[in-house]
Amino acid sequence: MAHEAEAGVTPARVLHRKRWPPDLTTPGLLGLPLGWLAVFFVVPIVIVGAYGFGVASLNPGPHSFTLTGWHDFLHSSVYLGLFWKSVKMSLLVSASVVFLAYPLAYYLALSGTKRKYVLLLLLIAPFLTSYLLRVLAWKVILGDQGVFNTFLFWTGLRDPDHPLSQLLYSRFAVLLVLGYIWLPFVALPIFVSLESLDRRLLEAASDLGASRWQAFRRVTLPLSAPGIAAAFLFVFIPTIGEFVTPSLVGGTGGYMYGNQIVDLFGTGFPDWQTGSVLSLFLLGVVVLLTIAFARFLQVRQVTAG
Amino acid sequence: MDVALSKNGARLLRAFFAFVVVFLYAPIAILLIFSFNNSELPSFPLSGFTLHWYHQFLTNPDLKGALETSAIIAALSSVGAVVLGVLASIALTRRRFTGKAAVSALLLSPLVIPYVVFGISLLLLFHTLGIPRSILTVVIGHIVISLPYTILVLVPRLEQIDVSLEEAAYDLGASRLRTFRSITLPLILPAVVSAFLIAFTTSFDEYAVASFVVGTRATFPIFLYSALRFPSQLPQVIAVAVVVITVSLVVVVAAELGRRIAERRLGTLTGS
Repeated sequence: MAHEAEAGVTPARVLHRKRWPPDLTTPGLLGLPLGWLAVFFVVPIVIVGAYGFGVASLNPGPHSFTLTGWHDFLHSSVYLGLFWKSVKMSLLVSASVVFLAYPLAYYLALSGTKRKYVLLLLLIAPFLTSYLLRVLAWKVILGDQGVFNTFLFWTGLRDPDHPLSQLLYSRFAVLLVLGYIWLPFVALPIFVSLESLDRRLLEAASDLGASRWQAFRRVTLPLSAPGIAAAFLFVFIPTIGEFVTPSLVGGTGGYMYGNQIVDLFGTGFPDWQTGSVLSLFLLGVVVLLTIAFARFLQVRQVTAG
Repeated sequence: MDVALSKNGARLLRAFFAFVVVFLYAPIAILLIFSFNNSELPSFPLSGFTLHWYHQFLTNPDLKGALETSAIIAALSSVGAVVLGVLASIALTRRRFTGKAAVSALLLSPLVIPYVVFGISLLLLFHTLGIPRSILTVVIGHIVISLPYTILVLVPRLEQIDVSLEEAAYDLGASRLRTFRSITLPLILPAVVSAFLIAFTTSFDEYAVASFVVGTRATFPIFLYSALRFPSQLPQVIAVAVVVITVSLVVVVAAELGRRIAERRLGTLTGS
């Protein structure tokens, strides 16, 4: 870091340092990335806002600022119900995968195994392969005539006329597939927080008479809380707006808030104003969550390891 | 005595770890098995070995076209994202300016936006501007999505490099561009390569945003998604899946090994 080295340099070097880094070029460096995000990220969201508040519309003719879209949304049991359903599903997925991933990360970070980075890679590798194809795999497995059901028929465990039909195109399928997709990923932030844990703290706890369970509850668990919170949010934020997995394996039972947004912009009966309101509401929720938990979201945890 | 885990606890956790790994890889193994199964329907009992599905997808022009489109989009968007990412990362690590926290928050914010919202935002932008949807509109969206990932890879690497190396070059009369080309770029090259790979794979696999802004030429994920709705295409899609998953697993492992080796070598070079 530049400023750490500055204390011991001669005045001449300080002068030099003022030319390097030359502040003049900062706009030159930032202009392109920030300009790109302004035009293709910020402005598009502003346009969604314009549609949501009636300033822009699909219908020709004059339009002006209106809150009717918001009024309809907030008084619609359908949209809000769907939102809460998605929140519940997303919470369930996030909590389950964090609960399952914690012991995995604990084993890798604290069991003293020599191959921990190899095992970590083994765990995370599925996350880095195609998302759609991992959904496809479950579609093949869960269908009425899928691998799982026909295996049961074949082995005689189940009558072919009565397959387990709630496996695919159901809320269960969405929860299972989302859990499967995110499980490898959440182990990473938890692993990073456990890995940086000072083992001497555990030894001290043990010397002072704490059992392993007490040491875990009083030392390890609190110190890994930021990793848990980050892991939870890393899953919750993308799954709450999820629409791809529910549209492939969810049927009507697994239909989520994100699917509703897509359908409002779809070819059937497009309603861009309502769709924009739903989008802005989702965006608002995610932004608030991110700000509230910003101190846990040390994004560098994503790249470590 | 181990303070973190008892012997039995370690054994239990190891068994649980193995169980989860089986759970994670079993669906992939099932795809592998059924990609060679001589039946229109992926179901038990297995009905004989065939390479028919592999042959079928290799000769499928739609699939070939989709793979090509995705390769073009991934190449363009990853180069774009890496260029923007390098510029932004240098500013974040080598410059002092007011509002740095806000700037880095904006640069990283595409990480948390729900893709359905971003996809629709882009759709409305292009609709408003009257820009027809095409390969380029997908590239534009993918650059936005990939940019924060490149920054997350590049910034830690730039922070590791001793600034005095760059200063020395500058003191010896090298221009800023020359300094970047001869000193900074070679030192951050491993990170640039992994940023490029991450951006490329992100784009290649991206369905959600692309589904809103894609033109007439389907990308590979768009092709897959529509193929999933036609049972007759299922066997060859399974064969494609096996190839793609195998390739990406190999690339992941190779990239990780390459990064380790490169960083070790550069680590001794820069003394970090």
